Amino acid sequence: MESAAGTPAPPAGRRWFFAWIGLAGLLLGTCLAGPHALVAVEQERRYMVAFANLTEEPGATLEGTGFTGREVRESFVLAVRRYPIDLVFYDNHRDSRTALANAEDAVQRKVDLYIQYLDDPATNVKIGQSLRAAGIRSLAINTPVPGAPLYTLDNRAAGRIAGEALSEYGAKNWRGLPTIGVIVGNLRAQEHRIPDRVQGASEGLKRHLPALKITPLETQGNPALVGPLLAKVLATQPATKVLIAAMDDASALAAKSALESAGRLADGAVVGQGVDRSVHGGMNDRKEIDPSNRGSIVIGSVAFYLDRYGYEILPIAMRMLRSETVAPRTVTPHRLITAANVFIEYPPYDMN
Amino acid sequence: MRQKSLIVVTVMLAALIWSAPAALAQSDCTKIVPPSPWGPNDQTGATNRVTPAVTKAAAAEIKDGKVVVMSYPLADGIPLFGTRFTKTILTATSLAPGAAFGENQLTYMEDTWLSQSHVGTHLDGMGHIGRKDCYFNQIAMGKFINQNNMTKLGLEHLKSFATRGVLIDMVKVYQAAGKFKGNAACKKPCLEKGTVITKADLEAGLKMYNVTLREGDIVIMHTGWGNLFEQYPAQNALYNSGEPGIGKEAANWLVSQKIVAVGSDSWAVEVIPGEDPKEAFIVHNILITDAGIHIIENVRTDLMAAEADQTKRATFFFSMTVPKAVGLTGNFVAIEGIR
Repeated sequence: MESAAGTPAPPAGRRWFFAWIGLAGLLLGTCLAGPHALVAVEQERRYMVAFANLTEEPGATLEGTGFTGREVRESFVLAVRRYPIDLVFYDNHRDSRTALANAEDAVQRKVDLYIQYLDDPATNVKIGQSLRAAGIRSLAINTPVPGAPLYTLDNRAAGRIAGEALSEYGAKNWRGLPTIGVIVGNLRAQEHRIPDRVQGASEGLKRHLPALKITPLETQGNPALVGPLLAKVLATQPATKVLIAAMDDASALAAKSALESAGRLADGAVVGQGVDRSVHGGMNDRKEIDPSNRGSIVIGSVAFYLDRYGYEILPIAMRMLRSETVAPRTVTPHRLITAANVFIEYPPYDMN
Repeated sequence: MRQKSLIVVTVMLAALIWSAPAALAQSDCTKIVPPSPWGPNDQTGATNRVTPAVTKAAAAEIKDGKVVVMSYPLADGIPLFGTRFTKTILTATSLAPGAAFGENQLTYMEDTWLSQSHVGTHLDGMGHIGRKDCYFNQIAMGKFINQNNMTKLGLEHLKSFATRGVLIDMVKVYQAAGKFKGNAACKKPCLEKGTVITKADLEAGLKMYNVTLREGDIVIMHTGWGNLFEQYPAQNALYNSGEPGIGKEAANWLVSQKIVAVGSDSWAVEVIPGEDPKEAFIVHNILITDAGIHIIENVRTDLMAAEADQTKRATFFFSMTVPKAVGLTGNFVAIEGIR
């Protein structure tokens, strides 16, 4: 028989026993459920992450490629759909004062993480200090913020990939024929680290053709100069094959046009840098790198994936937010995009 | 000499014949696509679920005979995917003076309709989407195509679509959840392109009208994006540039519900841009290639959404005709929801 007061309370020892059993069961259940249970718990927490973009000025291109800040931002907008993150966007306008003000605003908002994209090391130091003082972790893109993990391009590696592809092409198709190398583009643009790209391209061009003579053609960032500069080279080398490492896609397309104008398409091979939409395009665009555009002398272009930054960087951010270990430096997985893999890397999905 | 040539030719022909199947069937489709639940010879897919019992149960949805149009106009100028085109040409020669026939002065007109099959409100058939050369039910399609059509998985193998339709109003779901983000170009509320519709969203939409999905149902989602289609050709570029739609999780959940088809007022039903930029139309693979579930694109949903809102009932008898087009991968359709 039970008393009116209900079930008698178990003795203290039994209470502890049941408590331990319950705790053990909870732990066992969590272990058995594995990472899904942990994810489920984490998914309940939403994070506020700030992304301060380098610049979103219309038409302004980034990192010596054809990508714009709008494309970088859009990649974050799309990639964040997978994560429990609310993004706060800032535009650094490539300006130190604006960047500092943006970071200050993010501190006021008490964001969980700050992703800084500014090519000004000195300002990044100041911003790093101010974020640290506020207890906010940061992640840097392409230019370091002291103490923050860095996601960065590897311009030398990208240049080398292009150079090697050209070198291999020349060795395979033009063995024994007089061949020169040309590196064309905004070659001295230190702010875009193009000299690293040039160095990599030079190294790559000599990979299979160690005696290759390389001619640099400086366009100062004006693709319209590619034609006249290349025309001079072609005129002085009438019976020579030309391997052209273009430092951006616009220069690559201009180089192809120059060869076409000179009636020398059969004498050239071109590799660009970037893989923006000017070369891979959408469903209905004219595309240079496309499986149906067979025999183009633009062999390919080295991917920089600025339009995938969100997809590359937010997983790192998420690991930081979950206090997981993050590599101090993550490098863009540059690879050569050709007609053979462009639809795998960039499946054309839009109807336009 | 002549005998030697004959031997050479024979050997070459034998080599060609021997190598032909290998060249056409490059993939082991048993490793790439799951088998059909309806057996190794199945070319029908999910319309196998539309049994007489399913149709009879669906008929109970017809309460007052009201017919709701669920197709968009099929006309030159509507938004089209990629390189697709439409062109109609009217033949009206007998209207010329003196060209009428007989004493009764009979005249006639007819049309030439030049188009791909996947235009306007249309059905994706089983042969529309594959992985490599592997299509629904592990069919190595390389062996079953010719210059004109497919010799397997054509529309002629489909059974009836006379079943229950269930409208899920995603606009209302997002509004109710306070996460609605529209697009200013839509003249009625629409979800923004790139919005990933999740399993939870679908469940919320069903709960909103107290519906539980049944085996054999056809699910129609109203995203509002179709309003841009209605404005053709003014908003074609925007309509084509992306769309709200289901993601992979929602697609897999719909597969588990054993439905017949999923439709939407968008051009791909699935979210565009997709969740993973390196995947191409992955929901199409999940639904059509792997599960034999049809996709119906560019469905006009606004009228049924309004009807559901007014009557608090989101189910209807799904009436859609699909021609027995031999060897075709899909076709434009006319849909009516009958209530």
